[in-house]
Amino acid sequence: MRDSVRFIRQGRVVELKSFGPTETLLDHLRLTERACGTKEGCNEGDCGACTVAVGTHEDGKVVYRPVNACILFVGQLDGKEIVTVEDIAGSGGLHPVQQAMVDHHGSQCGFCTPGIVMSLFALYQDAGRATPPPRAVIDEWLSGNLCRCTGYRPIVEAARTALSAPPDDMFTRSAEATGGVLQFLADAEDVFVGTDQRFFAAPRSVEALAALYERHPDATLVAGATDVGLWITKQFRPVEKVIHLGRVDGLDRIEDVGPAVIIGATATYEAATDALAGIDPDIGAVVRRIGSRQVRASGTIGGNIANGSPIGDTPPMLIALGATLELVSAKANRAVPLEDFFIAYGRQDRQPGEFVAGVLVPKLKAGQVFRAYKISKRFDQDISAVMGAFLFTLADGVITEARIAFGGLAGTPKRAAAVEARLIGVAPGSAAAWSPAMEAFAEDFQPLTDMRASAHYRLETARALLGKALLETAGAPTTRTRVIGQREARQEGAHVGA
Amino acid sequence: MNAPALSAVIGQPVSRVDGPAKVTGTARYAAEFVPDGLAYASVVSATIPRGRIRALDTSAAEGMPGVLAVVSHRNAPKLPYLERDQRPPVDPKSGDQLRMFQDDKVLFNGQPVAVVIADSQQEADAAARCIGIAYDETEPTTTFDPGRGRPPSEETAKGGRPGAAGRGDGAAGLAEAATTVDVTYVQAREHHNAIEPHATIAQWDGDSLTLYDKSQWVQNVVVEIAHVFGIEAGKIRVISPFVGGAFGSALRTWPHVTIAAIAAKMTGRPVRVELSRRQLYHSVGFRPHTLQRVRLGAAPDGRLTAILQDAAAQVATYEEYAETTLQPAETTYSCPNVATAYRLVEMDTNSPCPMRGPGIVTGLYALEAAMDELAVALNVDPVALRLKNHADINEKTGLPWSSKALKACYETAAERFGWADRIAAPRSMRIGTDLVGYGMATAIYHADRAPAEAEVILFANGTAVVRTAASDMGPGTYTSITQIAADELGLPVEAIRFELGDSTLPMAPVHGGSITLVSVGSAVAEACAAVRQKLEALTGEGSIAERLRANGLDRLAASAKASPGEETKRYASSAFGAVFVEVRVDEGLGTLRVKRMTGAYDVGRVINPKIARSQCIGGMMGGLGMALMEAAEWDPRFGKVMNANLAEYLVPVCADTPALDVTFVPSEDTVLNPLGAKGLAEIAICGVAPAIANAVFHATGRRQRHIPIRPEDLIGT
Ligand SMILES: Cc1cc2nc3c(=O)[nH]c(=O)nc-3n(C[C@H](O)[C@H](O)[C@H](O)COP(=O)(O)OP(=O)(O)OC[C@H]3O[C@@H](n4cnc5c(N)ncnc54)[C@H](O)[C@@H]3O)c2cc1C
Ligand code: FES
Ligand code: FES
Repeated sequence: MRDSVRFIRQGRVVELKSFGPTETLLDHLRLTERACGTKEGCNEGDCGACTVAVGTHEDGKVVYRPVNACILFVGQLDGKEIVTVEDIAGSGGLHPVQQAMVDHHGSQCGFCTPGIVMSLFALYQDAGRATPPPRAVIDEWLSGNLCRCTGYRPIVEAARTALSAPPDDMFTRSAEATGGVLQFLADAEDVFVGTDQRFFAAPRSVEALAALYERHPDATLVAGATDVGLWITKQFRPVEKVIHLGRVDGLDRIEDVGPAVIIGATATYEAATDALAGIDPDIGAVVRRIGSRQVRASGTIGGNIANGSPIGDTPPMLIALGATLELVSAKANRAVPLEDFFIAYGRQDRQPGEFVAGVLVPKLKAGQVFRAYKISKRFDQDISAVMGAFLFTLADGVITEARIAFGGLAGTPKRAAAVEARLIGVAPGSAAAWSPAMEAFAEDFQPLTDMRASAHYRLETARALLGKALLETAGAPTTRTRVIGQREARQEGAHVGA
Repeated sequence: MNAPALSAVIGQPVSRVDGPAKVTGTARYAAEFVPDGLAYASVVSATIPRGRIRALDTSAAEGMPGVLAVVSHRNAPKLPYLERDQRPPVDPKSGDQLRMFQDDKVLFNGQPVAVVIADSQQEADAAARCIGIAYDETEPTTTFDPGRGRPPSEETAKGGRPGAAGRGDGAAGLAEAATTVDVTYVQAREHHNAIEPHATIAQWDGDSLTLYDKSQWVQNVVVEIAHVFGIEAGKIRVISPFVGGAFGSALRTWPHVTIAAIAAKMTGRPVRVELSRRQLYHSVGFRPHTLQRVRLGAAPDGRLTAILQDAAAQVATYEEYAETTLQPAETTYSCPNVATAYRLVEMDTNSPCPMRGPGIVTGLYALEAAMDELAVALNVDPVALRLKNHADINEKTGLPWSSKALKACYETAAERFGWADRIAAPRSMRIGTDLVGYGMATAIYHADRAPAEAEVILFANGTAVVRTAASDMGPGTYTSITQIAADELGLPVEAIRFELGDSTLPMAPVHGGSITLVSVGSAVAEACAAVRQKLEALTGEGSIAERLRANGLDRLAASAKASPGEETKRYASSAFGAVFVEVRVDEGLGTLRVKRMTGAYDVGRVINPKIARSQCIGGMMGGLGMALMEAAEWDPRFGKVMNANLAEYLVPVCADTPALDVTFVPSEDTVLNPLGAKGLAEIAICGVAPAIANAVFHATGRRQRHIPIRPEDLIGT
């Protein structure tokens, strides 16, 4: 048992023995270290001004990811390296990212700048990136960094310049040494800091986790903290006992088991993207639009399911695919179909002491077509107004089974049972045959009007999405109906008159 | 002074002098100063829209760890809040400002009612949540009901926001018109949402007060706080070297500055007040929700015979903030008959305030959208209609323009955009399933100038310091003024240090309304000229350094004041522009994407093209947000903004940035100021929203008479 957390900061190992279980990394930096280069713009994960890079050791390499320091708890940094905007200029002058930001006027008021610099710094370190990466990649990496002054254009230009050569800076040069220290920090100890009444714990094994959670069923499990962080900074909920899942060995596994893929509960969006996109590219396209790069680096698939939110983006897709949830406790392991896990708004089928271990996602079988669409007001970093996922099984040109699930239309992610039933025997290309299914939407869903969208808009959009999914299933070119790849579909064709 | 000659520095794309500090995180903003013994405050806000505080239980909070004091109307010092001889231009002209903790009244939901001061921010926040407040509620007024609209008071009218204005006979002009339009537009309440939250640190030393504040006008903070506390202005110093964006939100001295000073006084410690993102929605101002009706009349040849524009804007009950919304109706086009009517609709809300392009951008939205409707009704090209009605002089004042290259803006932007390819009929252009729309609008923003002072000191080591109490909230004042000084002194940019953001420096006007460069720049240029004259009077020759040393001097200083002169009585000055936009609409899902924007601007002489272009692009993206995303969702049950955060109050992200093309047409305005510049922060947001709305009509054939335009407005046919 270790009663401290340790991380690398400015080339040195820092050991913290006393800190609040929900003390954020941003408060640690700005208030404790008094390192004010990292800014606070919202304290809710929305603006990216607090972005820092976190280094981890993976497959023999040091990998840097941008994260929102404002909704990350300092204990979660155990075994990692924290890099802030103050740390990256070498003795030889500004970092290439910083220099390009100056040269291209990527900074006006400068308040978003440290966060932007750190997002680009993390991308800079990515050995696999293009030199320079295309605009879409730069957009994606900056999707969590709001700037009110520059209109982003100069920042994109700075990014292109800074990223036009492969990574080569003091971090790449010291990667081996850093990797060695990170490996040393990844010891086999369970971490427990605090008292039985108030603690930050980070068990190392599934067994240790199960035992600890059985003893403290009132503890809050924390995976990426992209939800729990907001309980603290936005809802001011008192959270005294934190069990961090990030160190649990194997809980982040991503495994191809032939007919299905297993995604461990603590696999982040970012880590799971490729495996999910391998099932169908639409899933990858949706996951790449969840939150921001920062949110995807921290947020987990397990958290997206366990939080029970009616507007989480992955559950509708996983439900349509027929995914099964693995639940584990000190007493028993069990599996439930994901759709049954969501009982009602705010209620899930999870017992005290039980946690999500992973989700088993079946791959598509022959004759199956999958489509998923995320509809939000803003393309990036916006909660969905409607999230629709469709799995059609076809034989002889007609639908023999339909699994359709929506987010944003009810108090939970929910299947459209009536719509599904009306699609059996329907040829996807014959629009006339759809109308019973279109009418059945009103049986399945009575959505609410809220500030994200009106009930009318939600239902109309859900119907339009079904239409698109059916058309595409019938073979309409996806470029014509693509919702998710909208920006990619920047066709440059000549304008045609009607 | 002579007309500007070719310069090695002015007009050059010099990189920001403050760039390195900003990219390394060393630029220090208001909340980041750490005076010894700093304590932290957490402001408690009212949760009802109107009423009185019946009971306030602070006992639990007072006993919590680290808590130094809990201040409310029960124990706060009674402050004199002296009336100023003349209200500063950034304050409403009538009504009473909000007074901090002086009584038990609640005037809007979110009003500060108490503050907790503790050793740490966490302790202050924790204690703030343990304060129990009971209220006696009174029936609030939380709906925007234009029927309750009333004309502005006399003071406000005198300040250039009259209830009625115009020329000729509006009704007659409309009656004689061959073609008319009569349309109503709504613009949502918008919030500045600069990325830096407002913050103030107050520190008393005996009866002297130092404030580290996020401010666009440090010297006004001094005067304001002197009146609030009834102390001498000379005892107050305000420091604000960097401002993390403001867009008008830091023009005024807001109540939290007073809170910081009260808290520091009562605890005997320096105290920091940093507002949370959520608190910003009710602690500083916003662009008011505005309803407008526009009636236009035109002769068969397209000449305007009448412009009638009415506006109703929301306003707080305690204070009368009004805008110049209807000014564009009087100045943008040539028209013999113009009539405007301005009304204020009182609501229980915090007071609105200027936001980038204040008033003008709102009025221009309605006017330019209506002009598009008129072009359709007349079946003429929207650009041709605007050229037909070009205002050769400012018809509101009858004065000639000190410079105007608007025709060149239309021509240049249309050409670069490819406007000629537009098929006039709506819904006639498509790519795949997307409808394609082209739209355009005129931009106009008056160019002003105010008196300013500057001091220049030359040093024997060949460097110079330029000093004035200006601000730089981001547009690049540090850099452009440095360039002006470098040019005047013949020194390299690197040899000059520009000090600003400190109230003890020479007098500078408010950093707003795009006046800083021309006002402060002119003063700096004159101070440089003055010091050069002194230098020339010295014996010896060679470089500045050599001459100072030859005369046994380690420094040589000069100050100057520059003021606008008679020219403002003889000329009207304005920046101009033309904005062209292409949108793509997928009606199946209501998705809308701005594909590209082209702007051509007449902003006078461009001091630094890099900075100028960046300003314009930022402004255009602000306009895109205004047109398609930004809106406070108001809940009339509580009199409260529901989306008071950055997750649900949407602003554009990087991926929303379309192809942006900015051109500055050749222009120089040496009438307005010797530098020839006109200022360019506000103009860049003007005209963007109507250009987008007009493009949406062209794409879909359906008029959206409100902004922001949302997917639900576009879905289906
Ligand atoms: C700026 C921002 C943007 C966002 N955008 C989106 C979006 O576009 N789409 C979307 O779907 N979501 C979005 N989210 C929400 C969030 O990212 C997800 O819900 C995320 O998947 C939660 O994962 P986490 O690991 O961060 O969960 P945490 O915050 O760590 O936990 C979430 C909840 O799940 C519980 N929990 C976590 N792991 C387990 C487990 N293994 N077993 C049992 N319980 C567990 C926790 O106790 C908590 O109740 C956004 C969040 C932010 C801050
Ligand atoms: S401060 Fe805004 S995302 Fe962290
Ligand atoms: S430079 Fe001001 S927010 Fe980006």
